[in-house]
Amino acid sequence: MNKLKTNKAYFATYFSMAVIICLVLIFTIMEKSFINSSNINNLLSDTAPLMIMAAGMTPVILIGSIDLSVGAMCSVSNVLVVSFIMKFKDTIYADWFIMLVTFVTTLVFAVIAGIILGLIHVKLKVPSFIASLAFMSIWNSAALLISNSPISIPKKLWGTIDWYKISIGPLGYPLVIAFLIIIGYYVILTRTSLGRGIYAIGANERAARMSGIAVDRIKITAFAVNGFCAALGAIFLMAKAKSCAPTVGDSFTLMVISAVVLGGTALIGGSGNILNTILGVFIVSIIKNGMNIVSINVYWQKVVFGVVVLIAIAINTDRSSRSFIVK
Amino acid sequence: MSKNILFSAKNIVKSFHGTQALKEVDLDVYEGEVVGLVGENGAGKSTLMKIIIGVQPQGSGEMYLRGKPFQPHDPLEANAEGIGMVYQEQSLITTLSVGQNLFFGHEKEFMQMGIVNWKKMYAEAAAVLSEVGCEDINPRKKVIDLNFATRQMVEIAKVVNVTKEASTDGKCLILLDEPTSVLNETEVKRLFQEIRKLTAKGHSVIFVSHRLDEVLEISDRIYVYKDGENAGNMNVADATEAILYERMVGHETNSEYYHLDKQVIPKEEVVLEAKDLGCRGKFKHVNFQLHKGEILGFCGVVGSGKEEICSVFCGDESPDFGELIVKGRKTKYSAPYQALNDGILMIPMERMVEGVIRGLSVEDNIALSNAGRLSKRGMISRKRVSEQAVEWIRRLRIKTSGKEELVIQLSGGNQQKVVFARVLASESDVVILNHPTRGVDVGAKEEIYGLIRDMVAEGKSVILLGDTLDECIGMSNRVLIMRDGLVTGELDAAVDAKPSQVSIISMMV
Repeated sequence: MNKLKTNKAYFATYFSMAVIICLVLIFTIMEKSFINSSNINNLLSDTAPLMIMAAGMTPVILIGSIDLSVGAMCSVSNVLVVSFIMKFKDTIYADWFIMLVTFVTTLVFAVIAGIILGLIHVKLKVPSFIASLAFMSIWNSAALLISNSPISIPKKLWGTIDWYKISIGPLGYPLVIAFLIIIGYYVILTRTSLGRGIYAIGANERAARMSGIAVDRIKITAFAVNGFCAALGAIFLMAKAKSCAPTVGDSFTLMVISAVVLGGTALIGGSGNILNTILGVFIVSIIKNGMNIVSINVYWQKVVFGVVVLIAIAINTDRSSRSFIVK
Repeated sequence: MSKNILFSAKNIVKSFHGTQALKEVDLDVYEGEVVGLVGENGAGKSTLMKIIIGVQPQGSGEMYLRGKPFQPHDPLEANAEGIGMVYQEQSLITTLSVGQNLFFGHEKEFMQMGIVNWKKMYAEAAAVLSEVGCEDINPRKKVIDLNFATRQMVEIAKVVNVTKEASTDGKCLILLDEPTSVLNETEVKRLFQEIRKLTAKGHSVIFVSHRLDEVLEISDRIYVYKDGENAGNMNVADATEAILYERMVGHETNSEYYHLDKQVIPKEEVVLEAKDLGCRGKFKHVNFQLHKGEILGFCGVVGSGKEEICSVFCGDESPDFGELIVKGRKTKYSAPYQALNDGILMIPMERMVEGVIRGLSVEDNIALSNAGRLSKRGMISRKRVSEQAVEWIRRLRIKTSGKEELVIQLSGGNQQKVVFARVLASESDVVILNHPTRGVDVGAKEEIYGLIRDMVAEGKSVILLGDTLDECIGMSNRVLIMRDGLVTGELDAAVDAKPSQVSIISMMV
C-alpha cells in the first residue's frame, strides 16, 4: 500500500471526527440539553435533507465544478411539489398515487434543470459557478412566483407523508435513505467507469478527454444527479414541515458546500471520498443544531457559517496543495 | 553592413543530467545583421539563447560582447549590457495601451506628485517606437487592437528600450525565439519589414525559427545546429532550404536501432481511410489509406498540418470537409471517446499533461482507457484492474514501488511508459503516436521502437509522427510528406528500400 495515500485518507477522516467530538463537547458544556435524547433524535432527522444534497454536490465538486443553485433548486422543488399536490388533491386518484406522481414529476423537473445547467457549463463553456449563480437567481424567483407564501398540505393527505417520522432504531427513515444514497454513490464513484471518470476529470480534464473518457456526458450527469438530490432534499423538507416555503432551501447552498468541503473533497476537484461527506454533514448540522440550542441569534448563525466555510476551505486547500488524491 | 563583431560565443558547452545539450558551439553576430539559427528539436538552439540572456549558466566556454568578456547571471544583467530577448509567448498586457506596456513597471519615471504624466509617457513611447522604426504605431492604442505582428514589434521596442540605454554605443542585440509561430503570412511580412528597419539602425538580431523559408528570407547569415553541435554556418546567398535541412538532420538510418528485422509487410485490409479530408486553415485534400499492420509515417515541418490531422483522427477535433472512413464505415467524431469506441487512440505529444493523470495511481492510469472492458454488470473489477497493471508493469519494465503508487512519484521516463501501457491495454487497433520519443533518452527510445514493432506484429496499425525525419523513415512502412496543409508526396519505405532523407526534404520544403 502506498503510505502517503492511506495517511492522507485517514487524516481527512480523523480530522473530521475530532471536530465532531469537540463540537459535541463544547455544546454540551454550554447547554446540557444538547445531549438529551429528544435533541439527538431531532438532530439526526434534520440531517437527512442536508446529507442528500451534500451527496449530490460531492460528484459536482469532484469534477472540479460547483453548483451554487442547489439551495434555490431545493426551494423551487419544494414549492413545486406542494403546488402539484394542491392541484391534484381533489382528483379521484388514491392519495398515495397523487403523492407518487408529484414526487416523480418534481424529481424529473430537477434532473432536467440539472442537465440544462450541465449543458450550459459544458457546451457553452460557461464557468459552472457563474452559470449556477444565474440559475440561483432564476430558481429563487421562480419559487416566489409559484407561491410567495408558505402552503400547508391538507390534513387528509398527511397519511401519505407519515413515512418521514418512522424510525429504525435511533435512525429516522429519512436518514436511512440518505445513508443508502451515499453508499450507492460511493459504489458508483469507486467501482464504475462513470465514477472513475469523475475522479479522472477532476484530476486532469484534458488527459481524461484524450484517454477516451466521455467528459461532457459525465459532467452533465454529475449536474443531473445534483439536481435530483436537491429535489429529493426538497421533498424531505416538505414531508418534515408538512408544508412548503419558497425560501426554505436558500440557506442550504452554503451548508451543502461547506459539508462537502469539510468532508475533505478538494474544491479543485479530483480528490475526496464521499463517505467523508457524511462527517462533513454532521459537522455542519451539529453546529446548526447547537447554535439553536444555545439560542444564538439567527443572523449571527449566518456569520458563523460564513466563517466555517472559510476555515473549511482554508484547511482543505492546504491539504490538497500537496496534490495527492484521497481515494 | 559594418563589420564590427558585436557579440560572440566560443566553445559553449552545456549538459543537463548527463546529456550534453551543447557540445562546443560557436556563434558570432556582427553589428546590424540578422543571424538565423536553425536546428531540429533538441539541437540546442533554445539552450544557447537561455545562456546568452543569462537564464542558465554555460558549463564551459566564453562569451564576448563588444570584445569584452560577458557573463550575465540573470536577464536583467544581460539587458543592462544591451542584450534583450523576446520570448515565444507574448508578454504584453492586452488591455493596456502600447505606451503603458512599454513603460510597465517604470511609471515612477513619469510621476509628478504621485500622478503619472501621461502626455510625457506617450511622447517618450513615441520616441522609443521610432527608435525601432515603428513611427506608425500609436502609443495610445490598446494592445488588444493591434495585430500580432505589431504586438511583436511592441515587444521588441520594449526590449530595445531597456537594453539600449545601458549599452555604451546604443546598439543592442535582440534575441527572437520563434517570433513568427503565432503570426500569419502578412503579419510575418510586416514583422520582417520592422526587423529590417531595426538592423538599419545598427541593432543586431538572432532569429530562431523552425520555418526555414522565413530564416532564409530575413537572415544575413545562418547557423545550423544539430545535436548540440555546429553543423554549418553560411551566408544566406549560399543556403537553400534543402541544404539547411540536410545539415539539420544529418546521419542516415541505422537498421538495428529501428528493429528493421521486425518490420512486417502490412495486410491488404484497410482500417482507416481519409477521403479529401480537410480542416479549415489547417490542412486540405488529404487522401490516404492505412492498412492493418502498417506503420504510416507523417513527415513535414512544424505547421505543415500533420499535428492537426492527428487531432482529427483521434476525435479531438472535427474535420470541416471530406470523409473519414474507419473499418469501412463513414464516421465523424466530436470527442476522443467516440474514436476510442472504434478502436482509435492517440498517445499525445504533451504526455505529462495530456497523457497521464499524475494524481492517480499507476493501475488507475493504465485502466483509464479500458475501464469498460474490466467491468462486469457495470462494476469494475478491482482484481482485474490490478492484474492488468501488474502485467504491464512487468512487460514494459516500469520502475515503480507498486501498482498503487501515484504516477506523479514516478520518473519522467516511467510516466511515459505508463501512457504506453494505457494505450496498449486499451487494445485499440489504430494507434496514433504523436512524437512518441520526444524527451526520451537513447536507451528508452530503442525500447519504444521495439514496442511499436510488437504492436504492429499483433496486427495493430500505427500512424507515426516522428520526432526526427530519420525516425519517421526508419520506423515506417510508408511515409506521407506534407507541406502547408497539403500532402505533397507518398513514398514506400520497405526494409531494403528506405527513401533517403534528401528526397523527402525536397517535398517538405
